[in-house]
Amino acid sequence: MSNDALIRELSADLVPVRRRLVLREAALLLALGAAELGLFLGLGLMRPDMGQRIASPYMMWKLGGLAMLAGVCCTVAIRSFSPTARPRRGLMLAFMLAGAVMIGGLFVGAGDASGHTLLDRLSPMRGLLCAFSIVVLSIPMMAMLAVLMRAAAPAHPEGSALASGIAAGTCGAFIFAFCCPINDPLYIVVWYSAGCAVVTAMARWLLPRRFRL
Amino acid sequence: MVAAQNGHGGAYRRLLGEISGWLHRYFQRRLPHGDVEDAVQETLLAVHRRRHTYDPRYPLGPWLASIAKRKWIDQLRSLGRRPTEELTDDLAVGDHEASVTSASVLASLLDNLRPAQARIIMLVKIQGHSIEDASRETGLSASAVKMNIHRGLARLTALLEKTEDVE
Repeated sequence: MSNDALIRELSADLVPVRRRLVLREAALLLALGAAELGLFLGLGLMRPDMGQRIASPYMMWKLGGLAMLAGVCCTVAIRSFSPTARPRRGLMLAFMLAGAVMIGGLFVGAGDASGHTLLDRLSPMRGLLCAFSIVVLSIPMMAMLAVLMRAAAPAHPEGSALASGIAAGTCGAFIFAFCCPINDPLYIVVWYSAGCAVVTAMARWLLPRRFRL
Repeated sequence: MVAAQNGHGGAYRRLLGEISGWLHRYFQRRLPHGDVEDAVQETLLAVHRRRHTYDPRYPLGPWLASIAKRKWIDQLRSLGRRPTEELTDDLAVGDHEASVTSASVLASLLDNLRPAQARIIMLVKIQGHSIEDASRETGLSASAVKMNIHRGLARLTALLEKTEDVE
């Protein structure tokens, strides 16, 4: 088919399109996150002492850090879906923020950790369960980001997939943080990072395959 | 593009026409000749499928360039995946050395003539046009064409007689 014929075909019966809006996509993600959190808490899965703990430096660090990371990563992911955007800087910012949040864990203290060995503090069996829960909880957000990415036109699908994976992982971790009974920052840093890393790897592997410009 | 997003087919056709020319130049500098058309059409399709992602607050150029770049990368990847076969001696084609040498010698000989003579000899004696055709092509009269051929050939003969190493 010649270019002229193709152009004629494409312009014939042209229908109006709804422009992509970053704010609409951000609102969609926010609504999904809120619905998932609401459902999670509605099922009675929140830790029982949350009322007393919520104002403690540890809980503020955990929830505040994860909320901040989730917000930044979702913004980076949505912005990267535009054809003219590059996710590189946003990803650097997200990694730096993640590093800062982890370092911040050193200053909030490990209330229950004194006198415990490293293995006790890490509690591998429980930790693996935590990481698995984070992966499961991040699936709806990853699916939504995949749909948004597919409908958009990222010029760097691999970077966008990475940003989407981190965003979905941190969202899942944020929701899980409401039920996680462990109060040790080392445990949080290790197993939450592991859960987020698995989600990120999955997104990096899966999302570019499902995408075609 | 804004009109196209609102469903204006005529504006969209004009836009795609202009984009097509730009893409042609873009891919001609970056891809083998045979892949240019494919890349242009693939990019036009991508522009059509993703036209809702264009934000009218920003210029169209960078948006289009990033889609074209992505398509260029895809095309390069497909080139890399394309099966290739090593050329063996069995596939060697016939020797064109004599033709190439003749063309080269002829071109250098014609360079010694006046441009009008060289052009007329090229038209009549090499490309096989008639005197009338050559007359129409060059805007000279038929007798002037014949005169140029006669003088040009005479000069070429003289040149060849002076040159010893031209076969």
